[in-house]
Amino acid sequence: MATLTDVIDRPTSQSGLWSWITTVDHKRIGVLYGVTAFIFLLLGGVEAGVIRLQLAVPDNTLVDPDTFNQMFTMHGTTMIFLVIMPLSASFFNFVIPLAIGARDVAFPRLNAFSYWVFLFGGLLLNASFLTNQAPDAGWFSYANLTEKPFSANQGLDYWALGLQVLGVSSLAAAFNFVVTIVNLRAPGMSLMRMPLFVWMTLVTSILLVLAFPVITVGLIELTFDRNFGTNFFVPEGGGDPILWQHLFWVFGHPEVYILILPAMGIVSEVLPTFSRKPLFGYPVVVFSGVVIGIMGWAVWSHHMFTVGLGPVAVSVFMITTMLIAVPTGVKIFNWIGTLWGGQIDLKTAMLFALGFVALFIVGGLSGVSHAVAPSDNQQQDTYYIVAHIHYVLFGGALFGIFAGVYYWFPKVTGKLLHEGLGKLHFWLYFIGMNVTFFPMHYLGLNGMPRRIYTYASEFGWDGLNLLASLGYLVLFVGTLLFIVNLMISLRKEPDAGHDPWDAPGLEWKIASPPPVYNFAKIPQVEGLDQYWIEKRRAEAEGHPITEPEALVDPSTIHMPSPSYWPLVTAIGVLILAAGMLVDTGWDYIRFPIPFIGGLISFIGIVAWANEPPAKEHAGGDHHPEAAHGGGHLAVAAVAEHPGGGATHSVRLLCSNCNNQLSSNFRFCPYCGGAVEDPAEPHHQEG
Amino acid sequence: MGLLPFRGEESRTQRARDKKGNTTHMSKRLSISRKHLLLLGLTAILLLVMACAPDAKQSTFGTSGPVAEKQLLLFNVLLWVMVAVFILVEGVLLYAVIKFRRRPGQTELPPQTHGHTALEITWTIIPTILILGLGIWSTITLFELDQPPAGADTLEVTAVGHQWWWEFEYPDADGNGKRITTANELRIPVDKAIRINLRSDDIIHSFWVPKLAGKVDVVPTRENYMWFQADETGIFYGQCAEFCGTAHAQMRFLVQVLPQEDYLAWAEGFGEAPVLSAQAQAGQTVFNGTGGCVVCHTANGSDSDAVVAGRVQGFMTSDTGIAPGPNLTDLATRVRFGAGIVDLNRQNLRQWLRDPETVKPGNYMSERAAIYQTADGRASLSESDISSLLEYLLSLK
Amino acid sequence: MAHQTEVSHHAPEEEHPTSTGINNRKLLMWVFLSSDCLFFGSLIATYMVYRGQSLVGPYPVDIIDVPITTISTFVLLCSSFAMVRALAATNENRQGAILFWLLMTAFLGAIFIGFQVYEFNLFRSEGLRIDTNLFGSTFFTLTGFHGAHVTLGIVWLLGLAWVAKKGRLGPKTALDVELAGLYWHFVDIVWIVIFTLLYLIGGFDTGPAGDPSLVPHSITGFLGLI
Ligand code: HEA
Ligand code: HEA
Ligand code: HEC
Ligand code: CUA
Ligand SMILES: [Cu+2]
Repeated sequence: MATLTDVIDRPTSQSGLWSWITTVDHKRIGVLYGVTAFIFLLLGGVEAGVIRLQLAVPDNTLVDPDTFNQMFTMHGTTMIFLVIMPLSASFFNFVIPLAIGARDVAFPRLNAFSYWVFLFGGLLLNASFLTNQAPDAGWFSYANLTEKPFSANQGLDYWALGLQVLGVSSLAAAFNFVVTIVNLRAPGMSLMRMPLFVWMTLVTSILLVLAFPVITVGLIELTFDRNFGTNFFVPEGGGDPILWQHLFWVFGHPEVYILILPAMGIVSEVLPTFSRKPLFGYPVVVFSGVVIGIMGWAVWSHHMFTVGLGPVAVSVFMITTMLIAVPTGVKIFNWIGTLWGGQIDLKTAMLFALGFVALFIVGGLSGVSHAVAPSDNQQQDTYYIVAHIHYVLFGGALFGIFAGVYYWFPKVTGKLLHEGLGKLHFWLYFIGMNVTFFPMHYLGLNGMPRRIYTYASEFGWDGLNLLASLGYLVLFVGTLLFIVNLMISLRKEPDAGHDPWDAPGLEWKIASPPPVYNFAKIPQVEGLDQYWIEKRRAEAEGHPITEPEALVDPSTIHMPSPSYWPLVTAIGVLILAAGMLVDTGWDYIRFPIPFIGGLISFIGIVAWANEPPAKEHAGGDHHPEAAHGGGHLAVAAVAEHPGGGATHSVRLLCSNCNNQLSSNFRFCPYCGGAVEDPAEPHHQEG
Repeated sequence: MGLLPFRGEESRTQRARDKKGNTTHMSKRLSISRKHLLLLGLTAILLLVMACAPDAKQSTFGTSGPVAEKQLLLFNVLLWVMVAVFILVEGVLLYAVIKFRRRPGQTELPPQTHGHTALEITWTIIPTILILGLGIWSTITLFELDQPPAGADTLEVTAVGHQWWWEFEYPDADGNGKRITTANELRIPVDKAIRINLRSDDIIHSFWVPKLAGKVDVVPTRENYMWFQADETGIFYGQCAEFCGTAHAQMRFLVQVLPQEDYLAWAEGFGEAPVLSAQAQAGQTVFNGTGGCVVCHTANGSDSDAVVAGRVQGFMTSDTGIAPGPNLTDLATRVRFGAGIVDLNRQNLRQWLRDPETVKPGNYMSERAAIYQTADGRASLSESDISSLLEYLLSLK
Repeated sequence: MAHQTEVSHHAPEEEHPTSTGINNRKLLMWVFLSSDCLFFGSLIATYMVYRGQSLVGPYPVDIIDVPITTISTFVLLCSSFAMVRALAATNENRQGAILFWLLMTAFLGAIFIGFQVYEFNLFRSEGLRIDTNLFGSTFFTLTGFHGAHVTLGIVWLLGLAWVAKKGRLGPKTALDVELAGLYWHFVDIVWIVIFTLLYLIGGFDTGPAGDPSLVPHSITGFLGLI
């Protein structure tokens, strides 16, 4: 394989499509994650729209039962695996290396690999719509409904393989972030000086590392049952569908904390910033997050209270579940403690963070009422649960994520999102969310089961269902408004400066958007909220900080070179999984395809392992400029140019070898602005 | 119980009064700020809509009998605790947000507090105590509800979940060993503990009659059971609560709670040979002959062991073979059919016989019965055959 | 970590001084192995839950041959020893020994796989396939995934041997060997657990006595343990 990597140069493009495809820069990957997941959010939202339209009136026949079943299955699966998790991953990617003062994650190529596998997994799952075989057994797809006799089409194969692929992505990302956080902290950043978001990312990543293998095994067994005639969950063969439930929820409950902890981390960054006060009870908040992560493993059977586990097992899970309210409550109280006595600035990010706290309390309290098994026997599988889900996931996770979007958008782009539109967006979401989901509590208690494609008027569920559907429209408009806000804000000139919120985190020290190398000098950390410490000290010394850390010549800092191999390996994984779905009945096609996929992955991995750094490092020393004589276009420059108020120090690199060359340039890589007074290219396209 | 917002036995006016109490209670909290006027409006709309549905048939509030009532009691207490926690925590949150807003011209930093050990301990301990208290009480209730009270005279019924209808078997319906198989309509005596054995013929379903008891799943590998007791006569509504495929939404059933004597009379009279008119007799011929109904349905008494066994086997082992069908004995005495989704009358039944798919999409009768394997899915029977069949079915009583 | 200074100007994916002093790749390997623990844990749990639940034969007692597998287990254990030698040789920069022990490890692993292939074929011929009964399903899935791990390890070792042949392994790159070693030992330990549970303890299981529905459900038993 060395021959392969000898022949194919390591990619070096810094701009254009290729640069995105081969990028290993955590910031770009973060953006890729975010954009992709946002598109999936729209898709999941459209699916929710179909659900709400169908249920707006009783006895509706807008969609047939099977379509409806596909809709809620894909809605739930999409929102959880393709929206909340990757949106969280987007923040992990963009923020974590900056927040711990690192140049990148520990394994940049593995990181790129995670993204591509996530994208392909999402596409694979949704490809089921193209063959009209979307999965339709719910997001936790209880056996034995999922077995061949009851789900004959390939929907559940798509589901199982899609989740399997997504699992590869999540695991790879989780490995990466555990190592990054444990190992790449800036000097002085001890564990108890890590920002809370970093802590929650660490806990989430560990939960992922331990939870995903369990669902992997469940999915393998399901796939074997469906395709190789095993009987893991088939009662007729002695198998037990309840085993699936155990495997799913041993994964599934930690999973819900995987969904909420990143949002809790974000909120723990936003609240102090906009209260101008450090997080109240930092060690306690950290500790409670860890405790939630641990306790999350001891409660899974609260999803199975009606299965007939017997009162002994049920009471154990009941108590452990209820006790989770304690560490969660502690977090909430400390957040309120943070607000207390502060100077609260209701920027959009802050509104979303406050909305998170307010709505999550509602979802948490309904959670505690499910935890009480005898009362859950009435609530389980009703809209009361659907209400809980959305208060914790929409009001919780998604609100937390939007708080993060408004908070870090200026760091990512250098531009502020429009505050007025943002506030409108918040209020539409806040109101729409309550109008949509609050009535569901009552609907559930009034006997409306979930996952029903229609209902009769006789039960008195009409009014509230209509109300919920109207609420959806409010959310719809809110979402459109956010898109408009994005469009408007992305078009304008950079206006954010490096630190628009007077924030405490290291990421605010550097320019917005951050240069490829992040920190010119790896920061030395003296305490929690390091940038506050620095700013306050500078202020006290009479020369307040108004400028980001000065940019430097990137060629003095060696960053990982872009690479093709993560993408190649990911494509291999996709072909491997998709190949198993090929249903020609002709084994000569069916079996070779996954094999080819496996081979491509293998080649990708070997090439990856043997890949040299980009050419110029090969010899150890920088090669002389003459080496470029051979004709590729290379541009580079160092120049000052005024743009959006700030002066950027600009330099371009040889688009082929990533090396600094003579003074030539086209545009500012940080803000996209044209640079005046271009000199001659140092050598021409040949 | 006076404090509780929802009660089973009280009159409607009482309930309305309680609800009003609820409103004032909430509005006190809501008057705190402008933003929450909105919430008030919302709550008002909500209560309005709630008031439009006073007679919710499947509500978990209008309970009857000890099991559902204990579960409701627990929920009500929880609800109030949660409402209290909600008001307290959200109240403090709101207060903090309003009180500590950043005022223009504030340049000095606020006091940089970092934590407070005593506070941390307090707000760890208080919820813990609250939770443990609730937890212990819940555990007690849980064990209490597990079994019917010792020594109670119980009626045993086996409920079998099928995609997508319910079968009820009484091993000893009348106290004299009479065995009854019926479907989609469970008849039980009032004031008597009923033990339901839950079995599945195919996949997981969940047996739920909200007003009588919380649900218990029907799992193919498990011998689950539940019990309840109805304190009043009348019809109670139930529904399958575990997603079970295409027609999950239509897998409903009724529970008829009869006075003891009426129940006994029904049990004893069940399955007596019906009186058949000439047309009904013609219908019976179709039923047993060209219609092929008898392949799946019994109409003259309980299913024999062999039939039951054959059906359970047959369903699982063949894709298109026999599906067990609801036992149609005494069909005409039922209130509804199609697993509790439509009223039993001539018109609906005719529609069902013509094309079940239009009544209940996905059902296994239209999917599998030979007579519906036509291009348009409509029965390959003449109208007069259908009329005779109708006549026959409606004579089954 | 003596060689660190030489490469420390490289990107984070290469060796860097780390916050904890643990090498990144090594930590990655540990995190991966902890994940893999849960993977095998779940497969083993499935086996345990379904122990004695097969409705039809052949049952373990009819099939399992403890002596043969004891031999293959011994071979696998020896391979772990070879692995230790390979790492030692790398640290001591004995080029010939590196290559020899790496190949030896791979060879012993391959013998283990050979035994497994033989065993699988034997079982098949005796009527146990993956779809025969729960024993077959759990047995082949668990041991099959273990075998896949070993196979992957062999490929990895051969790759290393190839590098060693070019003389590129030595104290500076000992980590490359150490990581393979960690993986190899892990897979080995997992086998010990599997061997104990599936062969020594479960190998004599007979079929359910009488009516299978009377066998107490082992999931309930499993939960009772918690
Ligand atoms: C982000 C995701 C998330 C989060 C954080 C939670 C948090 C909790 N969940 Fe939830 N849950 C889901 C997502 C989540 N859940 C989903 C998706 C399902 C449905 C799956 C499906 O069936 O499709 C579900 C279902 C579910 C069930 C199963 C219901 C059923 O199917 O019958 C239960 C039962 O116990 C439960 C309980 C809890 C509890 C006790 C918490 C606790 O962590 C909540 C703790 C928080 C608080 C309690 C509020 C703040 C605390 C205070 C203000 C302190 C004072 C409070 C007290 C003293 C009570 N959840
Ligand atoms: C994070 C998770 C998440 C989120 C954000 C949501 C968001 C929403 N959910 Fe979801 N939901 C789940 C997770 C989530 N849900 C889960 C796990 C289930 C259980 C599934 C199961 O039972 O298996 C569920 C189930 C579920 C049900 C129950 C279905 C059933 O049981 O039959 C309903 C019913 O109303 C519902 C509604 C909604 C609505 C109205 C939204 C809204 O908030 C959506 C808001 C989004 C939008 C409004 C986007 C609008 C789109 C655009 C603006 C696009 C414009 C178009 C282009 C530019 C192309 N959801
Ligand atoms: C292949 C099996 C099969 C055949 C043949 C069949 N049915 Fe059915 N029948 C069913 C099933 C299954 C149901 C339950 C459908 C549901 O509710 O999902 C049913 C339901 C019914 C019901 C409603 C019963 C209730 O309690 O809700 C009636 C009435 C009925 N069938 C009559 C007939 C008649 C009359 C014929 C002959 C013309 C017939 N069936 C032929 C399988 C069959
Ligand atoms: Cu049966 Cu849902
Ligand atoms: Cu849970």
